[in-house]
Amino acid sequence: MLWRLWDSDGVYAFRHSPAAIIAASVAILILGGALFAPWIAQSNPYDLSSFSLIDGLLPPVWQEFGDPRFPLGTDDQGRDMISAILYGARLSLLIGLSAMVIATVLGVSLGLAAGYYGGRFDAIVMRIADVQLALPAILTALLIDGIARGILPPSSIENLRVVVLTIAIALSLWVNFARTARASTFVERNKEYVQAAMIMGQHPLRVMFIHILPNIMGPLLVIMTVDLASAILLEATLSFLGIGLPADSPSLGTLIRIGMQFLLSGEWWILWVPTLFLVALVVSINILGDFLRDTFNPRLR
Amino acid sequence: MVYFILKRLIQSVFVMLAVALIAFSLFRFVGDPVSQMTGVETSVEDRERLREDLGLNDPFALQFYRFSSDMLRGDFGFSYRTRQPVSEMIATRLPATLELGIVSLIISLLVGIPAGVFTALRPRGFATQAILLTTLVGVSIPTFVIGIVLIFLFGVQLGWLPTFGRGGTTDLGGWTTSFLTVDGWRSLILPALTLGVYQLTLTMRLVRAEMLEVMRSDYIRFATARGIPYRKLHFKHALSNTMIPVITIIGLQFGGVIAFSIVTESVFQWPGMGLLFLESIRFVDIPVMGVYLVVIAFFFVLVNLLVDMLYILIDPRLRVKEAS
Amino acid sequence: MTRATRLRSTTLAALMSLTATAGMAETFRYATTTDPQSMDPHAVSSAPVLSFLNNIYEGLVRRGRDMSIEPSLATSWEPLKGENGWRFNLREGVTYHDGAEFTAQDVLFSYERASSEESDVRSWFAPVSEVRVVDDYTVDFVTTSPNPLFPDSIANFMILDSGWAEGNDAARPARDAENFASRNTNGTGPFTLASRDPGVETRLTPFDEWWDDDMGNVTEAILTPIGNAATGLAALISGDIDFIEPVPVQDIAQVSGRDGLTVVQGEETRIIMFGFGHEHDALLYSDETTDVNPFQDARVRLAVAHAIDVATIDRVVMRGLIEPASQLVPAGISGYSEANADRPAYDPDRARALLAEAGYPDGFSFGLKCTNDRYINDEALCRAAASMLAAVGMDAQLTTIPVRNYWEQLRADDYDMYLLGWSPGTFDMEHPVRFLLHTQDDEAKLGSWNFGNYSNARVDELLPQIQQELDPATRQGMMDEVVEITQDEVAYVPLYTQPLIWAMKDTIDVTQRADNFFMLRWVTVN
Repeated sequence: MLWRLWDSDGVYAFRHSPAAIIAASVAILILGGALFAPWIAQSNPYDLSSFSLIDGLLPPVWQEFGDPRFPLGTDDQGRDMISAILYGARLSLLIGLSAMVIATVLGVSLGLAAGYYGGRFDAIVMRIADVQLALPAILTALLIDGIARGILPPSSIENLRVVVLTIAIALSLWVNFARTARASTFVERNKEYVQAAMIMGQHPLRVMFIHILPNIMGPLLVIMTVDLASAILLEATLSFLGIGLPADSPSLGTLIRIGMQFLLSGEWWILWVPTLFLVALVVSINILGDFLRDTFNPRLR
Repeated sequence: MVYFILKRLIQSVFVMLAVALIAFSLFRFVGDPVSQMTGVETSVEDRERLREDLGLNDPFALQFYRFSSDMLRGDFGFSYRTRQPVSEMIATRLPATLELGIVSLIISLLVGIPAGVFTALRPRGFATQAILLTTLVGVSIPTFVIGIVLIFLFGVQLGWLPTFGRGGTTDLGGWTTSFLTVDGWRSLILPALTLGVYQLTLTMRLVRAEMLEVMRSDYIRFATARGIPYRKLHFKHALSNTMIPVITIIGLQFGGVIAFSIVTESVFQWPGMGLLFLESIRFVDIPVMGVYLVVIAFFFVLVNLLVDMLYILIDPRLRVKEAS
Repeated sequence: MTRATRLRSTTLAALMSLTATAGMAETFRYATTTDPQSMDPHAVSSAPVLSFLNNIYEGLVRRGRDMSIEPSLATSWEPLKGENGWRFNLREGVTYHDGAEFTAQDVLFSYERASSEESDVRSWFAPVSEVRVVDDYTVDFVTTSPNPLFPDSIANFMILDSGWAEGNDAARPARDAENFASRNTNGTGPFTLASRDPGVETRLTPFDEWWDDDMGNVTEAILTPIGNAATGLAALISGDIDFIEPVPVQDIAQVSGRDGLTVVQGEETRIIMFGFGHEHDALLYSDETTDVNPFQDARVRLAVAHAIDVATIDRVVMRGLIEPASQLVPAGISGYSEANADRPAYDPDRARALLAEAGYPDGFSFGLKCTNDRYINDEALCRAAASMLAAVGMDAQLTTIPVRNYWEQLRADDYDMYLLGWSPGTFDMEHPVRFLLHTQDDEAKLGSWNFGNYSNARVDELLPQIQQELDPATRQGMMDEVVEITQDEVAYVPLYTQPLIWAMKDTIDVTQRADNFFMLRWVTVN
């Protein structure tokens, strides 16, 4: 069984693509670091008493005044950079992955239905997609944040910032899935196997999700990886514009936003350590996306 | 065809109204315009009076009705921040954004298409891998970091290019352009590059994918067999066949470029609509935010419509389908 | 070099070079973070607007380099005899930029305009009951009660030409739609508005007929707003602009270390402090302490003061640029209480002891609300403070929000403890007493920024006496008493005075005034 998986096309291609192997290793390493941050990291950036302002702005250990307790230095609050980026990656990945899953479920369902039913329903879904596209992500984020503020008690807003941001990002990403799923469904719907299933009187939901969906998964998988990368970048950008997460719940985006203040001050590590980390993560996800694209589109090989 | 366009036009109006509604409903969450409009020493009752005068105490539906009916009549209202007519503010900022968007699009095409062709023709070459990886890294760095790094590299360290703003502009009857002065062009380069990185990568990958596909198609193989020279083959036959999907995506992206120039404009202090919008958010300038969003929606809708029409013109099969 | 000597030498250099380079074309490009949103001096009372318009318009009195009040359009003033108020003797032979003559009618007109319902500066004239034109060059301002501070309070009350304003349909400040005065100017000041592209670029040129000669050598000034701090700094370093303000504190070393650039720093009069919900019966953001409000206990508030290590905040967050504060105004402001200049020392053990004494030996959790775009490094300050408070058991749940949402939430009592910066607009202690310490009273327009409604009967009683007292020593005695009371009760926890940081090419001489107003007439390009 395992042997067959090892021998399958996808895995074969993977074994022979050094870029994909490196990217996957980096991604897994970061994912592992993020997942096990509470056990690996020496301090917890959420626990205010685990760091002290006295240790603020220490450079990496190889520079003058570096402190061996903080191999990559500390930020302006005295937080260990390594711990901060591990926890930051944890939060960024959490937001990115959840946003991607929400966007996929929402987009694919709508796209499938639009492609399957066509006609008026299709027109409505596509116009909603237009509306969504016409609202920049930063506005969607503001809107969701605003609604949350309007309906939730003040004390719970801060705890829900992550949820709010995730939903906002998901909403600005679902259109891609809907459009792709719709286009592919249009094609699949006219194929014999779908026609046969429809004639046999199967429930439309069954036709859509059991018959059509598996056959259009290829392009969707590619979008999923690309959008995971976009979601992580979008979170960083929203944080830069000041509508992301608060500074005391550091995602990679928040860390970069804080680091931007130290671009010129000589404390380069506060900006560049999380930035390089973010770029490494996003590049490896994108390389994996490329790899998937090539694998699922054998004509390109 | 006429029926199709009419139908889409009507749908477009609804899309814009929906955007206006959504946009408008979020404004009251952005903040309190009155506390931004008044100084620290303004009394509570003066503040309240201003709020009343601006109609901010009216029910939401009434406020929205006023906003949308004014807008349909062409009255875009006045900015809370500067008290200028919003239509005028948008009109003076529009050229900057459009020129930035167009130049970044042109850069992405001029670089992206040849790079796409090249990487498709030599899929295994070292240069191809290098180009692919570089562009991948390019789209993996947040735009604002790219912008700041470019400023410090070319503006500060090398001193070759201006660090902010539009430089020399020429006023052509209400349309200020950067295209007519050397200074204007120099100021355009960095922001256009920053904004164009994403488009460039997208264009290159799209062209590459389409080229790879076309190169394997039967008619190209047939042409190869007939002995048509490679150069002619690649550029005349293969490339022209990849253009339809490329044009589509680029068309759709242009609206996005305009909307997402917000970040670039903020980093480069580029006096376009995106910067105006950010300033307006900061100030809770509701009328400006509302009009900006509707203008952006208009661009999206317009480009979408054009792309759909282009499709029908290019692909006869769709024409038949629409007719039936 | 201390700040004072640096300032003096800058000023001296400015004066010396005045004669040397006069006559040469000196274009001066400068950038601030916000564009003045209007050119109308009565429409918006925000610092960017008033600061900018002080170059174009003038008031009856003005502030000198050291913030002292000096004659401007009025050459002298004295208290009225037989009634409350002040008589202003006006300068003769002053003309507006368009050539019209300045007379007492313009003062009356500008008073009516600035105190109208459409004006945003009308609070300055709350004590005024009547303005009388005695003759062409004499004006009386009658006040409802003795008001020794009145001349100080109208330094930013700028005079418009009545004929120009009325002739251009701008007799009242624009409130909804703009009017002629929103984008055009006609003052008596040292500079005229040459061109204006709102939010992009504003150009000024000197007014040759200006009555005074305290003028640098700028022949054209170009103001560009640059919102992004890094972009502004890049523009300065690359030489695209000559001057920026403010400079982020962390970048000072970089700027002053570069050839050709220099930094001028001083102290603003703004005090950064923490405030409390004195009237809240319970904490809003606490996980466990939901039935009482520990901050109602002065010992808990004192514990906050003892828990915050201002020296470390100074070193790491503010790069050694702040002056610790003991009261709501910095030293040097009139009314500052020398007798109460000590602030609670950093002493976490004492803080813990105070908490235990107040009945919270294990501390408690609460919500701390801060801005993240209003004061210098406000977010970093609050994160540091939260961490320090956590160290003594006060577990702060920190919320940082943009200022556009901030005041609204504070007015809605949506906080347990909050950050506030206050600059005494009149440069007198009376200002914060009126706005921050007096019990909230909407009717009398008192305590309007006293969000937590700190209330002390004796302070309320002293305020009107302070406002009317003419004898400096008696007045200072009352001030001392107010400061002592509010320190004892820890009404607020004042932390430090915010620094003022300007950066420019080293060929430029400027004068930095403590209100952060930027006067182009004090700029000399060498």
